[in-house]
Amino acid sequence: MRRRALALSILSSTAVLAVGWQLGMQAQTQTQTSSLSQTTDAADSAAPATTGTVTPTATGASGTFAGTAAQTRFGNVQVQIAVADGTITDVTALHLTDHDQRSVSISNRAAPVLRQQVLAAQSANVQGVSGATYTTDGYLTSLQSALDQAGL
Amino acid sequence: MTVHTFDTMGTMVSLRFAGVLPAAPVLHDVNRCFDESDRRFSLHRPDSELSRVAAGHLVLSRASAELRQAYTEALDWRRRTDGAFTPHRPDGIVDLNGIVKAQTMAAAARMLDAAGQTDWLLNVGGDLVGRGKFTTSPWQVGILDPVDRSALLCTLMLSPGRSAVATSGTAERGEHIWRYTRTHTGPDAAYRQVTVRAADIVTADVLATAIVAGGVHQRDEALDRFDIDVLTVDELGALTATAAFQTAPGLAPV
Repeated sequence: MRRRALALSILSSTAVLAVGWQLGMQAQTQTQTSSLSQTTDAADSAAPATTGTVTPTATGASGTFAGTAAQTRFGNVQVQIAVADGTITDVTALHLTDHDQRSVSISNRAAPVLRQQVLAAQSANVQGVSGATYTTDGYLTSLQSALDQAGL
Repeated sequence: MTVHTFDTMGTMVSLRFAGVLPAAPVLHDVNRCFDESDRRFSLHRPDSELSRVAAGHLVLSRASAELRQAYTEALDWRRRTDGAFTPHRPDGIVDLNGIVKAQTMAAAARMLDAAGQTDWLLNVGGDLVGRGKFTTSPWQVGILDPVDRSALLCTLMLSPGRSAVATSGTAERGEHIWRYTRTHTGPDAAYRQVTVRAADIVTADVLATAIVAGGVHQRDEALDRFDIDVLTVDELGALTATAAFQTAPGLAPV
């Protein structure tokens, strides 16, 4: 948990943030034996990453490290980090594919929208109304009741 | 089109069927489903099981399987929303009313499915779940505009995989939304109203509540973790919407 929190604080792009959470929730064990292993070939990272040797130095590890692949609702994803002297310098998503193995981007973001036209319940052809309920306010149930009675 | 309505849980239930009403026992079971939940979970009833827990007369570990199941599910949602949704009031009292209505709607939906009902729409106090179609087209739900409650923001369809819609608002604070105060401002300012469309009503309702409580951050977290559509209205009346809502009748991309 602490490790995930730390990782999250480092990850910068929102796409990678999403991946981080999904990694925590649905980490899928691959043939790699550790969660991080050094890779020399980013493009081939769906297969077990080539395990390199981390050379300890006085100031810390350096190199690129690919995480295990994880299943997310957007597809499979694998994250790679670049490390210089024990400090993460870059985080990239190596693989983010849909079920047909095509690359996808996480696109279900909320964006500003405008009211285009005024819709009225009685003319918009709705059978139900959704809204926040207010404790002493019967407006919503009354409106639904009116729709019910009108057979709309 | 036929309608069955009844009062329960302090609100009104509207249950529509595209065709004729189902047999009386089916409707009776739906009514009983809601009434039993109200008797067990209402904190307005001093004799409810949850009120006895709140009063310290009954320990949770000795409560009914139904109550413990509801509490367990609520705790699971607390974890999945990083605490934005919580069944614990600031005074420590366990209040399951932020989730029980949706759980009961889900139970009623299962009941109707099991009874072979295929085309119906259940609306409980502004949260809806539906199946099948209304005449030849899918059920259409209008989303109320909190700025002008005589108008709708948009309409959207219920479809398989997107069969539930729930809307939460800041006016509900003090009941089940405790995390932020209304004066909270900045990038995480809470929303005035949040609508979520999801595959099931519990997911839609809990996440709408969580996003009202947790603001922009919680909205993005929820969108990353769950397959949902979201429409938000902020304190100034400005809207944000995910793709499915951006082209809903009544709305247009900026």
